[in-house]
Amino acid sequence: MTDSKADFNPFGKLTYLVIDDFENFRLSMRQMLRSCGADKIELVAHANQAIQYCTYNHVDVVLCDFNLGEGKNGQHILEELRHKKLLKRSSLFLMVTAETSKEMVMGAREYQPDAYLTKPINRAVLEKRLGALISQRNILLPINREIDRENYPEAISLCIQALPRQPRYKTWLMKTLGDLYFQLGDLAHALKIYDDVLTQRELSWAKLGRCKVLLAKRSLDEAVDGLRDLLTKHPDYMEAYDLLAEGLERQGRPTQAQQVLEKAAEHSPNALLRQKHLAELAGSNQDMDTASDAWRRTVELGTHSIHDNSEHYLSLGQTLSDLSEGDLEEDGAEKAKEALAVLKRMEKRFEGEEGISLRSRIVQCRVYAGQGQDQQATRILESIRPELQDTAALDAKTGLDYAKTLFRLGHESDAKQLLGEMSERFSDDPETLQKIESLLDEPVGFRQKIKARTLNRDGIRAFESGNLQEAAETFSKALEIVPDHAALNLNLVQVLMKEHDNNPGNTELLKRCQSCLDRLAGLPEQHRQHRRYIALQRKLKGLMQ
Amino acid sequence: MNDQNIDFSMVLASAVHDMKNSLGMLLNSLDELRSEHEASLGESSRFNTLQYEAERMHNDLVQLLGIYRLGENNLSAHIEEHFVPDFLTEHLARHTPLLQGLGIEVSVEAEDINGFFDEDLLTGVLNNTINNAIRYTQSKIRLTAGERDGCLVIGVEDDGKGYPDSMQHTGTLNFKSLDFKSGSTSLGLFFASSVAKLHSEGNRTGSIKLHNGGSLGGGVFEIWLP
Repeated sequence: MTDSKADFNPFGKLTYLVIDDFENFRLSMRQMLRSCGADKIELVAHANQAIQYCTYNHVDVVLCDFNLGEGKNGQHILEELRHKKLLKRSSLFLMVTAETSKEMVMGAREYQPDAYLTKPINRAVLEKRLGALISQRNILLPINREIDRENYPEAISLCIQALPRQPRYKTWLMKTLGDLYFQLGDLAHALKIYDDVLTQRELSWAKLGRCKVLLAKRSLDEAVDGLRDLLTKHPDYMEAYDLLAEGLERQGRPTQAQQVLEKAAEHSPNALLRQKHLAELAGSNQDMDTASDAWRRTVELGTHSIHDNSEHYLSLGQTLSDLSEGDLEEDGAEKAKEALAVLKRMEKRFEGEEGISLRSRIVQCRVYAGQGQDQQATRILESIRPELQDTAALDAKTGLDYAKTLFRLGHESDAKQLLGEMSERFSDDPETLQKIESLLDEPVGFRQKIKARTLNRDGIRAFESGNLQEAAETFSKALEIVPDHAALNLNLVQVLMKEHDNNPGNTELLKRCQSCLDRLAGLPEQHRQHRRYIALQRKLKGLMQ
Repeated sequence: MNDQNIDFSMVLASAVHDMKNSLGMLLNSLDELRSEHEASLGESSRFNTLQYEAERMHNDLVQLLGIYRLGENNLSAHIEEHFVPDFLTEHLARHTPLLQGLGIEVSVEAEDINGFFDEDLLTGVLNNTINNAIRYTQSKIRLTAGERDGCLVIGVEDDGKGYPDSMQHTGTLNFKSLDFKSGSTSLGLFFASSVAKLHSEGNRTGSIKLHNGGSLGGGVFEIWLP
């Protein structure tokens, strides 16, 4: 026989955790929960106690105040609990806030609470709201249990069975179905779910889901158009910005992608992962001012976040180092100082992390060199060299950063040798290979990089409009900045060969071609320009005979 | 030159935000007081007035913020599908202590249907409307919900004297129709009408209707959502 009282009282069977920094509020919440029939209630004041408690105890319902004073807030707790899998999907997390708009809380990118409870909360509100959530939880429990076990096919068939029987939870079921099909990679079925919803009604979550599937199906144009449309109607739909930026990036429009993320960060500046994405994108767009601002914000937001990482500090240090390099005015000195301070803070915060002091010193060395303090820079370089003897043991990030420092301090051949070794070792890692290539091509500061890239673009334009002389001059100017740039050298070779076609008597042109190709003698086989290099070399031999 | 380039509406909005949160705390304490001293406070008219007026201010501030965001073009409806009877009973819970204190009888008469609307925005509208009904009713308030002409119609009825002729109308209000000289600014109605307008489907948009009668014979507020 089952206990009929427990059946009648859905509150009684569950365990509760109340997190609030005000004792009065904790006590009154407990009072209200008790009068609803709850029994197993734990009260804590701070985030760390909450996480500690959840590590060793099973909790069914968390009632967490968003604003907990100094330190971690409710969103940090939610992220940490879900990230560390201390809270099952079948458990409820309720965020208690004083806000009527979700915006203040909405910083989140991945984890959202099951519900928001807006203060003031009285017993009747709590009983109705929580009661409804608990009965939803109980009905959906079999599905969530399968999702917790990662048995998605079973969860899907349970959702399908529940649809006709539980019209009340239709939205939840359809959302979950779309998501599960997507997770399984069954894009056709996922798309069908969203389309089914959309034929009935233009719902923004379904539009977002549809665009997400389109992105995964590589229908980039359709996805990007859909997301732009969604954002004109809902300028506060943060997830749509993230997806749109991803779509634009994959379309090869990194500048537009950056603008989209900047707008999103303006609306909701508290999402660490979004700031990080913006910082990375701006960095690769050579927009170092935006990058340094976004890294600074990422580091700040990391203070209480589970996503905090030493890489953020390093990236901020590297970006500030790039900005300060060669700028001996007040502004440059200020940035250099900040870079060193950030690195110092990192060494302290991530003290136990392997290689952290080494990574820090590799950047410090560049900062000093960039400020003309060569003695200091050399001293640091000498201190790190012995630790970096065994280049075969270096991970990609450390190796690349070390090579950058070697270039900056004038040890070009060492840098090139290191990068050559690395391109063999990472031959099946296209991302690292591309970074190695970029560094070999452009081992200079970002301002010069931008100048060289602009010249390259102008040269290509001149070549396309048939103005060979101007093209050759422009490429040559670019090569004065980045003499080893593979694509640039080959561009110049092509222009000169074409001019030689018109003017076969001019052997000087071929000599210039030869000297360009000689520059690329050490080009690693893995380089994307290698085949073009070989082809042009063969062609030049033919012309010289 | 004017260096103090103060964005006054922004300053106002943050002040309003702060006041709203303070009132939230105040209302919380009132609820607690009421439950702790149920016997002595239960029917105290002064305590009821205290709670009612605090609720009213809280609502006004919530609406002000909503209208501010509307002006900033920063308010959009996040429409989802909801089970209407659940939404109404959950919503009513907030008013329960005051309604009991005042001895007002409330009933909900909703069809078992799903509706498409933004939960937060509609909560703001209903709070205001129910508060209004509390002010003008004799003894009864009735919440209704059903489908009419392809719209979800949510109604709040009371058994008071009803709306004066000048206020009864159908459709949407614009900002110019607010009269700041008379005692009632109809700010709540403007907000309700704006929220209704944010709900659209195809070429139809939502609207509000005010009239008298209904099953209780008093004022009837209706929000029609396509």
